[in-house]
Amino acid sequence: MTNFIDFLLGGFSNGAVIALMALALVMVWRSTRMVNFAQVGQAMFTTYIALTVQQSTGNWLLALAVAMGAGLILGIVVFFLVIRPVKNSDTTGAIIATFGVLIALQAGAGMVWGGDPEGFIPPVSNAGLEFAGRIWPVSLYDILVWVVTAALVIGLTLLFTKTSLGLSMRASAFNPEVARLSGVRVNRMLITGWAIAGATGAVGGVLIAPVSTISPNSFDILLVFAFTAAVIGGLDSLVGAVTFGIGTGLVISLVSGYTDASNAPVVALVLLALNLLLKPDGVFSHHGSRSV
Amino acid sequence: MSNLTDVKNMSNAQKLRTFPGNRIVWHAVIVGVVWLLLLLLNNNIDPLYSSYLALVAMYATAMFGMTILVGFSGQVSLGNGALMAVGGYVFALTSMNWQTVPIFGWEWNAVWSMVFAGLGGILIGGIVGGLAARLKGPYLAGLTLGLAVGVPAITNRFPELLGGENGLMLTVPYPAGGYAASEIAGGAESGAETSDPNSDAGSDAGAAAGEDQYAELDLSEFDQGVDASTDPNATPATEDLLTEGDLLTLDDFSNGGDLGLESADPAVEPSVDPSVDAGLEPGQDPSGITDSFDTGFIIERWQASMAIAVACLVAFAALNLIRGRQGRVWKAVRDDPIAAAVVGISPSGSKVSAFVVSSLFAALAGAVFAQILSFVGPGAFSLGLSLSLLVGIVLGGRSSLLGAILGALIIVWLPELVDGLAGDRGWPDQITNNAPNLLYGLLVVAVVLAAPGGITGTVRSWIDKSRGKSRSPLS
Repeated sequence: MTNFIDFLLGGFSNGAVIALMALALVMVWRSTRMVNFAQVGQAMFTTYIALTVQQSTGNWLLALAVAMGAGLILGIVVFFLVIRPVKNSDTTGAIIATFGVLIALQAGAGMVWGGDPEGFIPPVSNAGLEFAGRIWPVSLYDILVWVVTAALVIGLTLLFTKTSLGLSMRASAFNPEVARLSGVRVNRMLITGWAIAGATGAVGGVLIAPVSTISPNSFDILLVFAFTAAVIGGLDSLVGAVTFGIGTGLVISLVSGYTDASNAPVVALVLLALNLLLKPDGVFSHHGSRSV
Repeated sequence: MSNLTDVKNMSNAQKLRTFPGNRIVWHAVIVGVVWLLLLLLNNNIDPLYSSYLALVAMYATAMFGMTILVGFSGQVSLGNGALMAVGGYVFALTSMNWQTVPIFGWEWNAVWSMVFAGLGGILIGGIVGGLAARLKGPYLAGLTLGLAVGVPAITNRFPELLGGENGLMLTVPYPAGGYAASEIAGGAESGAETSDPNSDAGSDAGAAAGEDQYAELDLSEFDQGVDASTDPNATPATEDLLTEGDLLTLDDFSNGGDLGLESADPAVEPSVDPSVDAGLEPGQDPSGITDSFDTGFIIERWQASMAIAVACLVAFAALNLIRGRQGRVWKAVRDDPIAAAVVGISPSGSKVSAFVVSSLFAALAGAVFAQILSFVGPGAFSLGLSLSLLVGIVLGGRSSLLGAILGALIIVWLPELVDGLAGDRGWPDQITNNAPNLLYGLLVVAVVLAAPGGITGTVRSWIDKSRGKSRSPLS
């Protein structure tokens, strides 16, 4: 039982990061109805930028802020250069284009920072805390991850529910035509969606980097986990993305703990396949079943 | 063209295209001629280029499947690298175990291992395709992305069976008959084969004649060589040769054009006109049949001829599929699933069939890859492999087989080009190693935005435009 609790606690910070990545995927899906497979590539790139900032200034908060800004800009750049020009009818082309961006970003990062995995020094201790006579699988850094994730999720929730920008964004996601008729600048909302998604992903990247290492391909697996979480959550539900992001993190932690870490991708694959078989529209989706 | 008078009014070319029987013969002729030209090329280039040729043929085999899946059926899959892993591992496992213990008294044969690899691909492809048929667009891409990441990870799950991170080394079974063909048998064989596909006489005689001769590089040899090795006299020689074959690779590079040219196996390729073979026989260099066996066998050539054989057979199958009824069914479902369902086509059935066909091709390519590398391992079948297959067909042209071939050429050639440039200019490794991928990524985005048909689609639309026709670059 102690094992179980330990594995569960250990999974929360991974789950938080998966939730952030899933959130980014969902925000892109809500704004442009496509899955941005380059999302983790963008996050990887901004994490490298954060790494550079941290190495030169030693300031983690500054690194996080720079990564968020870079993620924002990168999201807008990808949107303008790639997503907007793709014709709406060519969904196959749009998916392929995001993979093209992923390949280019990974190669670009490899060119600038090299392919070797690099460590990211955490701002606070990464060692397990001692409490009530034993060492728990929770570190100060884990708590920092939870706090940052919670702050971001609460901030996004407030943005979407309490501000007029959030209302406009929800309107253009829900029905672009009607939103446009009501005077919402839908295009601007799409850009905002991509920008916020980029920043959210960037935070996720900076948070996971000290736990794992960072290399151009090290976030590939995160893409699979985040996609799994986002799809199970329904791809257009922010609540779903967070819930199942954390859930995926816990399941993966349990599986890794009881069996072996190499099983994690297989488990994610099985989860995804089961979900797509049984409830292809996700648990939290607002939409009815697809035709054909 | 149901009406008889319509048929009478057609030109011969139209008749060729209309009647399935004629079309198959026509495709067989095309593929057969290409096969012969490729073998001719393979036997007259530097062995280094033969190894590139082998890789191109291997990539093309897998990309033919991608053409059908992505181009014709409209399903973006990243799982084909994983399906190649299935083929490669099935090939490695069957050949490793079968080589030591004959099953039901049958000796192991590389062709059987390839068949099993193909069956493995069909099985896994059927399962994944069944799931895939319920999905569309990004869901399918995400699921197959999971496959590409998850399947190589499975090898870590079974370290004893699959070798874990280190993979499996396999003894690549060089055709025993290749070493054994004597001067006389070698000459007689090429004649005998065109006339009688079932004749083992050539290689039997060759096996008896001893090991110190040169290699015949052909899929049929592959068969017959192992047949010959069931002969008790020949069996020990086969084992000797397997080890000696490895040593051979080192000192073969100078002996370029020594190999005999073999015709396409008539049993597999019925349409190849014997007269075409006869015409090519003078190309065979009699002086190449030398006494010393270390001048003959060039492993790169053998690998290339094997990869070409598989690629040509797969291309033949793919040509018949996409230019026949099934191709039209796939396109109909891709363009409008609801309309297709209205005319009685099952959209999910069509998607599953495309998936199964493409995974069969991927598995065969994986088996070829395993033989080229003499190795299977998770690193060889990474997400990068799946991505490069996608990149290849998008750049080459995602809705034609020629596009797949061009894509395979680009995937193999571009890194070499960059390497060459980098060597001249003294770029650091960090730049050189990543430059091809950066180019691929940017090119893919550019092609999707500016020329969605890739090279072949764009060229075809230019031709159509100059003729005053208009057609979608993706049709």
